[in-house]
Amino acid sequence: MSADSSPAPVTGAEPGQWRTVATRFLRHRLAVAALAVLTLVALFAFVGPLLWHYGYDEITPDNSRPPSAAHPLGTDSLGHDLLAQVMRGTQQSLLIALSVALGAALIGTVTGVVAGFHRGKTDALLMRVVDLFLTVPTIAVAAVLGHNFAGKSGWFLIAAVLAALMWTTVARVVRGVVLGLREREFVAAARALGASNTRIMVSHILPNIAGPIIVSVTILVASAILAETALSFIGFGVQPPDTSLGLLVANAQSAVGTRPWLFYSPGVVILLIALSINFIGDGLRDALDPAQTRGPRRRRYLAKPVERTGVIPGDVLLSVRDLRVVFAAPGDDVPAVRHLDLDLRRGEVVGLVGESGSGKSVTAAAIMGLLPPAATVSGSVRLDGQELVGLAEPRYRRLRGRRVAMVFQDPMSSLSPVHTIGDQVAEAVRVHQGGSWAAARDRAAELLDVVGVPDARNRLRDYPHQFSGGMRQRVVIAMAIANDPDLIIADEPTTALDVTVQAQVLAALRAVRERTGAAILLITHDLGIVAEVADRIAVMYAGRLVETGTAADVFDSPAMPYTRGLLESVPRLDRPADEELWAIPGSPPTMTALPSGCAFAPRCARRTAECDESEPGLRQVSDGHLAACLHLTVERTPR
Amino acid sequence: MEILGFALRRLLVAVPVLLVSTFLIFLTVAGSGDPLTELRERQPPVPPETITAEEVRLGLDQPVLERYGDWLTGVVRGDFGPSVNRNASIAVEIGTRLGVTMRFVLVAMLVAAVLAILVGVVSAVRQYSWLDYLFTSAGFLFLAMPSFWLAILLKQGGIQFNRATGTETFYMIGDRSVPPPPTFLAQLADVAGHMILPTVTLVLIHFAVWSRFQRSSMLEVLNSDYVRLATAKGLPRRTVLRKYALRTALTPLITVIALDFTAVFAGAVITETVFQWRGMGDYLLSSINARDVNAVMAWLLVAALAVMVFNLVADILYAALDPRIRHVR
Repeated sequence: MSADSSPAPVTGAEPGQWRTVATRFLRHRLAVAALAVLTLVALFAFVGPLLWHYGYDEITPDNSRPPSAAHPLGTDSLGHDLLAQVMRGTQQSLLIALSVALGAALIGTVTGVVAGFHRGKTDALLMRVVDLFLTVPTIAVAAVLGHNFAGKSGWFLIAAVLAALMWTTVARVVRGVVLGLREREFVAAARALGASNTRIMVSHILPNIAGPIIVSVTILVASAILAETALSFIGFGVQPPDTSLGLLVANAQSAVGTRPWLFYSPGVVILLIALSINFIGDGLRDALDPAQTRGPRRRRYLAKPVERTGVIPGDVLLSVRDLRVVFAAPGDDVPAVRHLDLDLRRGEVVGLVGESGSGKSVTAAAIMGLLPPAATVSGSVRLDGQELVGLAEPRYRRLRGRRVAMVFQDPMSSLSPVHTIGDQVAEAVRVHQGGSWAAARDRAAELLDVVGVPDARNRLRDYPHQFSGGMRQRVVIAMAIANDPDLIIADEPTTALDVTVQAQVLAALRAVRERTGAAILLITHDLGIVAEVADRIAVMYAGRLVETGTAADVFDSPAMPYTRGLLESVPRLDRPADEELWAIPGSPPTMTALPSGCAFAPRCARRTAECDESEPGLRQVSDGHLAACLHLTVERTPR
Repeated sequence: MEILGFALRRLLVAVPVLLVSTFLIFLTVAGSGDPLTELRERQPPVPPETITAEEVRLGLDQPVLERYGDWLTGVVRGDFGPSVNRNASIAVEIGTRLGVTMRFVLVAMLVAAVLAILVGVVSAVRQYSWLDYLFTSAGFLFLAMPSFWLAILLKQGGIQFNRATGTETFYMIGDRSVPPPPTFLAQLADVAGHMILPTVTLVLIHFAVWSRFQRSSMLEVLNSDYVRLATAKGLPRRTVLRKYALRTALTPLITVIALDFTAVFAGAVITETVFQWRGMGDYLLSSINARDVNAVMAWLLVAALAVMVFNLVADILYAALDPRIRHVR
């Protein structure tokens, strides 16, 4: 049984897709080497006997000879040439294992598709059957059945017995994938067009589960080899005078000390086959599921701090200069944040706005020192004068939660499911302030009260799953303010919540700000939220800051066409209801293929030839209001 | 506890399937040949009345459907029926042999689980380090290793070791010395000396799979939002790893280990034959060879029961570790 089962489904099965799968597989060097080894072993087993002058059942006059030129693997006590025997054994074992895999794939796929597609009672019954197969050791039942065929046995019967016992893993994998596919649009569409169930299963579902089936069947070949050899080893598989690798090992076991050559070669062949099949399976899995493509092999992200000159004014809490974050990826490096400058004054709320993928969250992670290992960060981030880029982890740790706290987007996943709320909040207190757990718990109750969790003291013992999404986000906010931080970074704190709950969480954030006086960097794509709470706004596009100014500046007189587009795409109450909402044409650029000029130019109505020449820097529109556009003509939007 | 009810309900649904499959297996073993062949062909010949008496004792004179009916009613009453071997009671045989087998299966599972957790966590936390590469390669190697081959290899190693040191550190044959050594402590050491190599065989084969699994589940948890938030709170990395990552990454392993119990048991059957233990493996193989229907049926039932008990324990453990399960339904 493979450790990492249930590979992700691959969607679509056009020929082009399979070509990319093949390309990705070929890039997996270990898997390709394994495929080569397996091919050699197969040639050895099926072509070898034709070329070798001894038959596997031929008794030569040389008995019990160690390996020599005449008998490269030696001979057994009866005078059988071991090379011929190993070739025959490998042939039998491979033949059986491949048939088992094919048979099991057939039974497993049909069962899995039927169970997953029909669900309900059919599914329940079939899964009980699968459960039953999992309750008894396969080898025991195979031995019972195998004994029946003893004497009259050929490889085919053994294969049939093992296939009948080993299809369940395939069935489970297939069923899982089909259950997920069933609800997808293309299946619904086929059904709406009147296709029959059988037709849907064969022509719409099967091609889409080919990937998982291929992977689990490949792994199954390895399991089948091990099962067959074990079965033959205990005497219920391939019977003499024919031979299999397991049987050869069994015959050799009493003579390991005296005739070791008999023991090692068949075992090594089994090992080689199973090993190479597992590697091939691994390569196939990676090729079919590109999400698992590996990044650079390091454990922490790289940081390249940049010396900076100039004095930071005393009221500036956070000062970011020329921040760059690049992600290493196979093929090309992906820039995520490019030359970002940003200042936050104490107690100020700054809204960092932009479409998804514009680099907002990466900026937040860079400030917190929480970038993934694939990232490289450079530039300068100063908190109260202290440089954070390249800061050693132990010192960084003492800043996190104490000076800078963070609220993540999805409260459903940002709390540990197996620890109580009280524990998680109290821990945030204790890690920086120390003290007893009892005191920390008291403080936790207070904090939860501040953010508006009703009946806070009695809920300390509850687990996250007993809270609603809005309440969980309040818990996260309570943890954020546990140590009176100077800065709270809230990364899309309301995006995952219902509209009504959004307002409550926002109110909680505002209350927190009034109480603690912390500056807040509010990251969002929702301009409505920013308008409500932000003092200043920074707009990001394609990893760069494109406009920044006070909320009034940006909302009333946006200077950058992108900002204007964002504002116009927000529904407003003071416009006629039937007026069409405007949407920015086109889509954000691919970060690996950025245009040489202004990144927004391809979508911009004001694009001129100069826009494509070089990327415009931030230019002053009015005092404290900057925009990165060559065509700065401030338009007042009616309010 | 709701979990028990859930498990029982699942068991009830399984009853019809269980009936059908026991019937099929009964037919198979009953059809595999005459268990009295050896008796009939004995030289000098055995008196016909003895053979007829044996046929009646084993129920061979009746049609197979009735034999299955008898077996079923007997099993429900806790009686496994007569064994082909007149001098042995199936229940007693299985009782002692189950003890022998489970002893090393449980120890092996425990050791393998602990090792798997350690290795899985280390290779996840130190991803791409030489340790990770070492463990990953070892994992692949043992995953592909035939258990019987490894067992013989270790047995050979044990012989070499004993010879080299001139001691009797490892015992390669049987599950204990006959006659047993006089004192209790000596007996304990004797059993341990017999147990160590078979146990190591099972441990190596299974810890490989489990550590791979633990590694990937740990990696998944390390990338989770709550681990990121725990880090953002300013917790030391050690606390994050131990309290947040390991704690949640353990639960999936429990399911895997429970599901793999059958595989470990099967591995034990093979390993036992190499070390010539009088355990469950030997009993199964000799019963099949003797065409002893009742013994084979009893063996499979007991094995299935052990698996069910094991899954139940896993379900309870799971509920104890994951509050989400505890509160559902």
